[in-house]
Amino acid sequence: MSKQIKTETKKSDNRADKLKLYSIGSVVLLIAIILLVNFLFDRMFGNALTFDFSDAGQNSLSQESIDFIDSLPEGTAIRVVGLFSRPDEVDSTPYQYIIPLLDDYVRKSDGKIIVEYIDPNQQPAIISQLDPTNSYNLSQKMDSFVVQYGGKIKVISPIDCYSYDEEYLWQTGNYLITSNNTEFTFSNAMYSLVKGFASKAYVITGLKNTGNTGIMSIMDSMAFEVGEIQASDVFSIPDDCDLLILNGPNTDISEKMFVSISDYLNRGGKMIVAVDYSADNITETYPRLNQLVNIMGINIDPLLVFENDPGLQMSENPLYSTVNTSEEFAGYSNMPYFTNAFARSIRALETPDSIGTTIPALFTSNNAQVKSVDANGNIMDNGSEASGQYNVAMYSYASNGAEMFVFGTLTFTSDTYLNEYGYNSYNADFFRGCVRELNDMNDAGSLNISTKLVDNYSIDSTKATASNATIILVIFMIIIPLALVSMAVIVYTKRKNL
Amino acid sequence: MSAVFKREFLSYFRSPVGYVAIAIFSFLSGFIFYSMFSQGVANIGSEVISLRSFFVIIVPIITMGLLAEDKKRGTEILYYTTPINLFSVVVGKILAAFALYAVMFLNVIIHAIVAVSFGGTIGVGSVGSIIVFFFMAFMFISMGTFASAITDNQIVSAIVAFVIILFTQVLSTFAEYIGSAFKSIALSIKISSDAAAKIGHNIDSFISWFDPFAKTTDFRIGIFSVSALVFLVSIGILFMYLTYRVLDKKRWSQA
Repeated sequence: MSKQIKTETKKSDNRADKLKLYSIGSVVLLIAIILLVNFLFDRMFGNALTFDFSDAGQNSLSQESIDFIDSLPEGTAIRVVGLFSRPDEVDSTPYQYIIPLLDDYVRKSDGKIIVEYIDPNQQPAIISQLDPTNSYNLSQKMDSFVVQYGGKIKVISPIDCYSYDEEYLWQTGNYLITSNNTEFTFSNAMYSLVKGFASKAYVITGLKNTGNTGIMSIMDSMAFEVGEIQASDVFSIPDDCDLLILNGPNTDISEKMFVSISDYLNRGGKMIVAVDYSADNITETYPRLNQLVNIMGINIDPLLVFENDPGLQMSENPLYSTVNTSEEFAGYSNMPYFTNAFARSIRALETPDSIGTTIPALFTSNNAQVKSVDANGNIMDNGSEASGQYNVAMYSYASNGAEMFVFGTLTFTSDTYLNEYGYNSYNADFFRGCVRELNDMNDAGSLNISTKLVDNYSIDSTKATASNATIILVIFMIIIPLALVSMAVIVYTKRKNL
Repeated sequence: MSAVFKREFLSYFRSPVGYVAIAIFSFLSGFIFYSMFSQGVANIGSEVISLRSFFVIIVPIITMGLLAEDKKRGTEILYYTTPINLFSVVVGKILAAFALYAVMFLNVIIHAIVAVSFGGTIGVGSVGSIIVFFFMAFMFISMGTFASAITDNQIVSAIVAFVIILFTQVLSTFAEYIGSAFKSIALSIKISSDAAAKIGHNIDSFISWFDPFAKTTDFRIGIFSVSALVFLVSIGILFMYLTYRVLDKKRWSQA
């Protein structure tokens, strides 16, 4: 009998062991299958089955970029390096629209574009690897991206990727993103690195205290090779100059410069001139510079622009205002108006030597004035002209191919402005448009990628009042939870009394 | 299965558990909605993705009694003695908890209606966030049900579920620490700093690959990834199967 029990127990133990083994084996097998399926699915369909449902397609490439990437030959290796560790959460960070888009570059480039995130604090060698000559001072740009191709690099800061609400920034000092230029910035950086420098621009230096870093960066991103020409007695314009820029001079140009530049214009040269009123040039009337721009039928008046229309004034200051643009230039930016400050009035002036036909590019409302300013910067009582529309920028073209933009404000070109509002502000967009116009590069010089409006979840500001917010608070955080807790208490009490 | 589902779902409302869970969810979702509304914004997709953080509180509450309570009362014997498939029991219970989550989610639907009536918009991206939210709910409920299956004490079950979910929530941070530790070890054995950093980074990436929160965070900004959903479903199925095996173990271990 006892032998029979022992045999039964042994059989039972064997069966239990087998079931245990089966149980463990099946779990291990399931885990292996799940890992394998997920891994393979991720590899094979992960990219194809990732969709961008954002309203403006923020996180996916437009056809222009895809066409550009497709046009790159097999074996092209563009490397994008984020100089930081990839953040786990990008929402509400400057990388919100950048990192997901870079993921899409990787997805759609078939290995031609590689994106890495390398924190120089952890791998210091990356700095010298990307920028052996330390030309870009990358160790000070640890929030930026570096696009590298063929040994050349371009540095892109997150601020370069967005446009901001300038009125909001002006009033609050805070940045409010209004549109997303990430794709434009990255695709054009890759484009210019791959295609090489298409044109050469020269910036005249030596006539002002502050630099030209902002416009040089913009030109660089547009595939221009940018050089500098020092204002001097031996001033001359190189033969390879495709565009000449005189940005914010505080003193007039010399006779030698006038001769050299007028000769350049008579040979069909292209030029951008930007001046304004500031403490450093308040008494300067630029007689020679005027003589020069007169050739193109333009004159820079020694008059300060006053915008009297309160709707266009910024912070109720007539010297800071928005200016409108004419139809001819409306396509330069998404916005039909731009920021302007301490502007000199620009007007058409026909002289016997003029060769240009002028078009107003930026102008005030019909209710503006221009006023004379004395040597101390005070408005002269008898210096005002009648109310009317005044130009802040003009464009001129001549039959010999010469073209010129003259700005009476530096809000399109100064480092101060561009550093504050970024390289994608509406003004910077307009400046880019001017450069394209002068170099006939609308289609060829850079990828024409539209700005994307960011997803907007704002509610009607007239309804989003403090009292409505309080009502929301009371209903959703007090009344509903309390009602449910009361129900719980009632149910608990009833159950207890059962 | 439908009988189990019906019994479990109704039991939530025959005890304080369902009401308390919905009350907590209402409060938390209301807080997020109010925070956005007071800033003039109503992004339902962002609200839903933010609510993922509260799985760690809600899920243990609604799953702690699913199987532990039966064990404690001894009613689990019915699973083994009645002609019902054990897997159906597990599925029925998980579906009941899932249905309770759907009831809770009515709060967010109300928020969406309020947002639209105040001039806000509900984009397609928000729908994607809602879909992934339910997939995550399924995964975490499966984890919670598993925790409930391994003990007959509801408090222990809730703590185990809390720890498992919390672990998934901090997985990326954990991965970072492990990566750093491996990097330090590599440096200590004279591996070059770049190679050591690469080792640390790869280990960090490998562990982070399992992080459901990292996989789903981009849904907030409108990116809809099917592979993330596959991951959530498969982990949910894994825990569902583990729960089934735990129940089944009792059948054969008593043989």
